[in-house]
Amino acid sequence: MISQEKILERLFFYLNRLAPPGASIHPDIDLIQELGLDSVKVMDLVMELEDEFDLSIPLNILTDVHTPTQLAQAVFSLMEHADGVVR
Amino acid sequence: MAKLYMSATLTRHALPQRVADFSTLAEALDYAARGHTGLNFYDGRCRLTAVVQYAALRREALAVARRLHGLGLSRGDRVALIADTEPGFMEAFYGCQYAGFIPVPLPIPSGLGGHASYVEKLGGLLKSCEPTAILAPSEWLPFVQEAAGSCNALFIGSVKEIKTQAAPPVELEPSQPDDVAYLQYTSGSTRFPRGVAVTQRAVMANLQGMLRDGLGVGPGDRCVSWLPFYHDMGLVGFVLSPMAAQMSVDYLRTQDFAMRPRQWLNLISQNRGTIAFAPPFGYDLCSRRAREGEVTRFDLSSWRVAGIGAEPIRAEVLERFAEQFAPAGFDRNAFLPSYGLAENTLGVSFARRGVGVQVDRIDRWALEHRSMAIPFNGEGSKASLFVNCGAVLPGHQLEIRDEAGHPLPERQVGRITLQGPSLMSGYFRDEESTQAHMDGDWLDTGDLGYLHNGELFITGRQKDLLIVRGRNIWPQDVEYLVESQPEVRSGDVIAFLVPAEADPRVVVLVQCRATDPEKRESLVRTLAGLINGEFGFTATVELVPPHSLPRTSSGKPSRAEARKRFLEQMQSESRLPMAFG
Repeated sequence: MISQEKILERLFFYLNRLAPPGASIHPDIDLIQELGLDSVKVMDLVMELEDEFDLSIPLNILTDVHTPTQLAQAVFSLMEHADGVVR
Repeated sequence: MAKLYMSATLTRHALPQRVADFSTLAEALDYAARGHTGLNFYDGRCRLTAVVQYAALRREALAVARRLHGLGLSRGDRVALIADTEPGFMEAFYGCQYAGFIPVPLPIPSGLGGHASYVEKLGGLLKSCEPTAILAPSEWLPFVQEAAGSCNALFIGSVKEIKTQAAPPVELEPSQPDDVAYLQYTSGSTRFPRGVAVTQRAVMANLQGMLRDGLGVGPGDRCVSWLPFYHDMGLVGFVLSPMAAQMSVDYLRTQDFAMRPRQWLNLISQNRGTIAFAPPFGYDLCSRRAREGEVTRFDLSSWRVAGIGAEPIRAEVLERFAEQFAPAGFDRNAFLPSYGLAENTLGVSFARRGVGVQVDRIDRWALEHRSMAIPFNGEGSKASLFVNCGAVLPGHQLEIRDEAGHPLPERQVGRITLQGPSLMSGYFRDEESTQAHMDGDWLDTGDLGYLHNGELFITGRQKDLLIVRGRNIWPQDVEYLVESQPEVRSGDVIAFLVPAEADPRVVVLVQCRATDPEKRESLVRTLAGLINGEFGFTATVELVPPHSLPRTSSGKPSRAEARKRFLEQMQSESRLPMAFG
């Protein structure tokens, strides 16, 4: 099972491609308000994460996500469920 | 789960096709249920997740109808439906049809961090339609509970839950031709939502016009759609239309399309889809994401009607798509520009089929100064291009009128007004707005355009409306958000749309007293972030000196004038709109 740190690391990799050049990205930056990701870029990011970790990220878990840390947490808990018996 | 042996519904079946010649939606479903076509739901990787034949849909809808009845709902009561792309929505929507309740499709949240703004928006919509029951897929129920607040609904829960209730042995009385078939909330701002009320008579008239005259459907047609069910084009165009002509339809969720637009093309290829619509940005998204060398993996040769609607049509975007996907068998003549609005159920006019996008090149000077659309062969920068959206549907009348309401001759730009059997009966419990938009039995669409040979060209959508990626956003909502910041005063903000290289861009001008450059820069960043968080687009925020925004005679900020000055300044400094933000 992959760790939350590893998820965050991959997330940073994709964010570096999507964020405006020169933006400083840190775990607690607000992806929308501070980093300025628009809805198309957000969907790009979610897709990369889905493909990388082979899961489906439902929209309802994203509505309370503001920062990379929170997004990594959300993905982590999804994977925990997916790995369990409760599929 | 028994998903292994699921297969999609057929395109052709033995039932003779009837093209929407029914008096109500319930009657239409009764007929469709006699065949073997139906609905197919796919996930983001194009795997089938649910198949519902119309026969099964009818059965489930009747089950939901009885149980809603059992809860004590009366005819005419509203049932709010959180309209995710899933079978439960269909069962509830048609359940209402069978019991004479009025379904109200409402949006789901979109994107990151949208919790609070969604709950606020939903609260406003619920307050406006006053539902007696609210149905939502279980993952959205917590949001509904939060938003319902003072709402006196008898039942809030999922369709699954409602099916566990006892079914009383009641005689159901379906919605009648003059009853309201549904309410559509795509019109109106977030703070002042307006529910378009559409009768059975109107929806059937529009469905028949669109299917028979607009699309010319036949027994071999199959629809493919990713449009949201709470949007008029998604609901009327791809939920109700396929059913009314007993066509099979393949659904992709909107968020899955946004993430993986090529899956739309995949579905069309796989299932030999013939009819699919999108706003221009949908085609644009596909073009941008198509990878080198993969185009020939698609087979788009079955795609007979590639409809375009919901936002101003830019021919170059479509041109690029056609070019790119020609090797996959895409026929550029399949493009079908159209014009529509929820107030006319959905469709108003469709271009002629089989000729693709027809562009009218006109003299920009005459357009701007004399509101005339004069054909022009000169230099590109002095021309304006508009797309032919076709003649109004048979049985409907369309007139271009001036500000005083007088009909204008051809090639003269004015307000588009409409009359005919598809018109809404009014805005739900909002006599004032209804009066403001209806003049007798004519609707003032607020959109601008001109006619040539009886065919319509749209030159501007509803006054001041910000249309961003197919979504209608009221400038008032953006201005209100910015004004709610402590540094900004009420009346100090103007928002408008300007053309830009790729997508049109929203410009927000804010009167600002602060002089410290650091403070100003930080304010711009904060405001842009706020707008993006709330509406999901990147706006160009510019600070302007106090008292510099133009006002109307009544003292209100004049968006039209501000926009004009902004564009003039942009041209004189020959700054490209792309350079902003």
